[in-house]
Amino acid sequence: MKESIMLLVILLPVISGILVPLLPFKKRRHMEIFLEIVVVINSLLVWGILLEFPEESFTLARFTGNLTISFRVDGMTMVFAGLVSALWPFATLYAFEYMTREERERSFFAFYTMTYGVTLGIALAGNMLTMYFFYELLTLVTVPLVMHTLSREAILASRTYLYYSLGGAAFAFISLIFLTIYGSTTDFILGGALDLERVGERTNTLLLVYVMAFLGFGVKAAICPFNSWLPKAGVAPTPVTALLHAVAVVKSGAFAILRLTYFSFGTDFLEGTWAQSVVMAITMFTIVYGCSRAVKETHLKRRLAYSTISNLSYILFGAALMSPAGMVGALTHMVFHAVMKIASFFCAGAVMHQTDRHYVHELNGLGYKMPWVFGVFTLSALALMGVPGLAGFVSKWNLALAAVESGNPLSYGGIVCLLISALLTAVYMLTIVVRAFFPGKDFDDRAVSEIRDPGWKMVVPLVVFSAFIVVFGLYSSPFVEFFQKVANGIY
Amino acid sequence: MSYFVLLPILFPILSGIFLLVRKEMKNRQSLLITVGAALVITTVLAITAMLTVRDEIFLVFNLTRTLPVLFKIDGVGVIFGIVGIIVFVCAGSFGFEYMKHEEHEKRYYGFYLIVFGILMALCFAGNLVTFYLFFELLTLSSMPLVLHTGSKEAVMAGLKYLFYSLCGAYMVLFGFYFINRYANTLSFSEGSVLNPELAAGHASLLLGAAFVMIMGFSVKAGMFPMHAWLTAAHPAAPAPASAVLSAVIVKAGVLGIIRVVYYLFGASFLQGTWVQSVWMTLALITVFMGSLLAYREPVLKKRLAYSTVSQISYILFGLAVMDPDALTGGMLHVICHSLVKAVLFLCAGAIIYKTGKTRADELRGIGKEMPVLLWCYTVASLGLVGIPPTGGFVSKWYLAAGALSSGIPGFFWIGPAVLLISALLTAGYLLPITISGFFPGEDFDYGGLKKREPGVLMTLPIALLTALSVLAGLFPNVLTDFIARLAADIL
Repeated sequence: MKESIMLLVILLPVISGILVPLLPFKKRRHMEIFLEIVVVINSLLVWGILLEFPEESFTLARFTGNLTISFRVDGMTMVFAGLVSALWPFATLYAFEYMTREERERSFFAFYTMTYGVTLGIALAGNMLTMYFFYELLTLVTVPLVMHTLSREAILASRTYLYYSLGGAAFAFISLIFLTIYGSTTDFILGGALDLERVGERTNTLLLVYVMAFLGFGVKAAICPFNSWLPKAGVAPTPVTALLHAVAVVKSGAFAILRLTYFSFGTDFLEGTWAQSVVMAITMFTIVYGCSRAVKETHLKRRLAYSTISNLSYILFGAALMSPAGMVGALTHMVFHAVMKIASFFCAGAVMHQTDRHYVHELNGLGYKMPWVFGVFTLSALALMGVPGLAGFVSKWNLALAAVESGNPLSYGGIVCLLISALLTAVYMLTIVVRAFFPGKDFDDRAVSEIRDPGWKMVVPLVVFSAFIVVFGLYSSPFVEFFQKVANGIY
Repeated sequence: MSYFVLLPILFPILSGIFLLVRKEMKNRQSLLITVGAALVITTVLAITAMLTVRDEIFLVFNLTRTLPVLFKIDGVGVIFGIVGIIVFVCAGSFGFEYMKHEEHEKRYYGFYLIVFGILMALCFAGNLVTFYLFFELLTLSSMPLVLHTGSKEAVMAGLKYLFYSLCGAYMVLFGFYFINRYANTLSFSEGSVLNPELAAGHASLLLGAAFVMIMGFSVKAGMFPMHAWLTAAHPAAPAPASAVLSAVIVKAGVLGIIRVVYYLFGASFLQGTWVQSVWMTLALITVFMGSLLAYREPVLKKRLAYSTVSQISYILFGLAVMDPDALTGGMLHVICHSLVKAVLFLCAGAIIYKTGKTRADELRGIGKEMPVLLWCYTVASLGLVGIPPTGGFVSKWYLAAGALSSGIPGFFWIGPAVLLISALLTAGYLLPITISGFFPGEDFDYGGLKKREPGVLMTLPIALLTALSVLAGLFPNVLTDFIARLAADIL
């Protein structure tokens, strides 16, 4: 019975989401209260599961043989589900204020809330098939969010998103088939479930399958060359860009790759092979590529999207190190980057909401008019750069430690990429900060005299995330130790 | 008691932040009194800390399990700290008058105080993590001083400064990751912290790491090929800020190199390696190139900035030789150059403030208008050229003697020769101003001259610094004994 609560946390947001357009809310406020209550309750339930987690897996349906839809809580689940459920209530609160300027709020909130449940489905999935199922579902529920504004640009973006994601999932599907044939089970087991006797002579085939699946899941994690959907999808309303395209959706991709690498194929099988070198080289290239594009980009949200591309590959680089330390680095960055990037996206959204300015060169002198927003933006910029004492330093530290530990010359190159990326991060983030706070001599103050900070629903999430950034930076040990336990299979 | 080391760090930082966030003060007087009081109190606190808690370790907190942030006041810290205090207090009180003709004074002094506190933290940092943390903060907080005037040129210079410095910081971080792997501890201790067992067989990797770290810190010290920011940034700042940047902030890079070479890797690890040769070569190139470019530069503040490039590499050369005498000379030159360069920049500032003239060739007859100022300028210049009885003579004597006695093939005579040529060039670019200032020539129109000696708030700090630079030459034993003992300890 205790296990079935896992199904509840997935179904509750999905059903509530479906109910939003159907229920006769008299006022907008009632819908807000309903949704916030649902989301908070769901998050509490998730945390309840994580703290008192059931040992057994819960099987919902059984197809032929060992193909089942089943859920199980393990360390990885705890990290990802904990992250998502901590962020969602704040993002919903922020969305209430942000969406006042947009149309068709109900359908927006319907899909937005459903996404919560689907993302938890990915986190709780106990085997490859279940994860694959929710992974496809995630694409489908988020497409309407991308094309929410129904502008031509948005429809094109959602089409690109759909094609890329479905295409990627198809590659991932191939790996599912191979895993059912060559694996002793498709359940996620730390260390991998490949049956090496069955693999026999076909090592290279399976490595190729791994690389294909890595790229397939990598589509959602915006790995180069499959990244162009992410900046385009920035046309979606900011709560979507911030929560889904910086955390839930893209991190599902990263999460799936971690599952694939550490729990399905297994690092024993992959480490030291050409497949490892290939995927590591791809992530290294993406790290630098994303940052360089971010520097070139002048649209604020697209710039942050390129930054996300780069940062996601930090996580994948950690995954590609294929050691427990690498996994610790990947998990640290998965969580810490989520908080940093959602904070910076929310700042960008607040600027767009308050001023309707979208480009970097329009931000001159806004710093003094919106001190909360740009204060938090500065903090998130410093954190992303990796200033010690803030979250980004710790995650980069863990990644670099793992890379040094591995003794692999290619991963030393990865450290160089991380640092080049840090420098470029400083370029694309701090130019914004400098513009906002030091607009220069010939700046006319009257142009911004009307501009104010947004209301509390936007400011509260910003402040909470900044607090997280600082706490993660200064007191990272409990978190990192937890990740170490996860990586070593204690949870 | 050992917590006392925190006070001279936190007090100026907090008062700076207080100045930044509070609203504009009613009159200028109260701002100046606040700043003056903050400078004096910090000085008292710093001196007290140096006297009472020398060599006591104070652990602030643990950033992660293996990265403690801790402070310890040792001999090198005391030298850099005292130099910093003298320059900061003098340039600060000079600014009381000078900053009248700039805007946003409150912002300027806010960041000025923050930089002061961070500099103290750098001097007292007890391990690499702490040093790195404050090294990054130093860059971030001193950038607003560079772009203070808000002209397009200044903002670009500020960004250039920021990105070069961060590039250096990330190079340091790269080495940091590696030394962390092979060292027992990252606390600064005389000699080497490398763990011989772990490091065995990785010597070439560690040499590479050491080289990258030295290069990283040398960005801040303006060594070729990463010097381009310095000649853009230092002249762009208001004069008292230029003085602080050129006299003290660049020394943070020097301090970083001392810490890395003599307190982490250990001189014996680097002696006779390619790292030492490349480093000495680059330093000598910079010495010569800086002087030559200064000689060709018509704008006075830029000329002084090129001079800084050259003179700091005197220090770096002294450090690179890794000989007790050369090291003593290098550290002595830290003191002498700081005092002298502060005088020169403040003189340039006073001239700009009173006459608006920026180019060296416009300064004919300036000695008739501001005799006291030009006398100070002349005496300080003699110090930089290295003519007895000024401090510069002593430091260069030690540098040359150290290089000669080191017996490093080639460098033992090339080094002193380059230093000598550069000294001639130094005379060539500094003294013509004195000559044409006091002896404008027969065709000069004496009628247009009027008394323009700046007020006592400007003259007194300049005179004080000049006097100190001469005293350092008249009674060098006090300093040389102290420094030579220090050098003997760490070599």
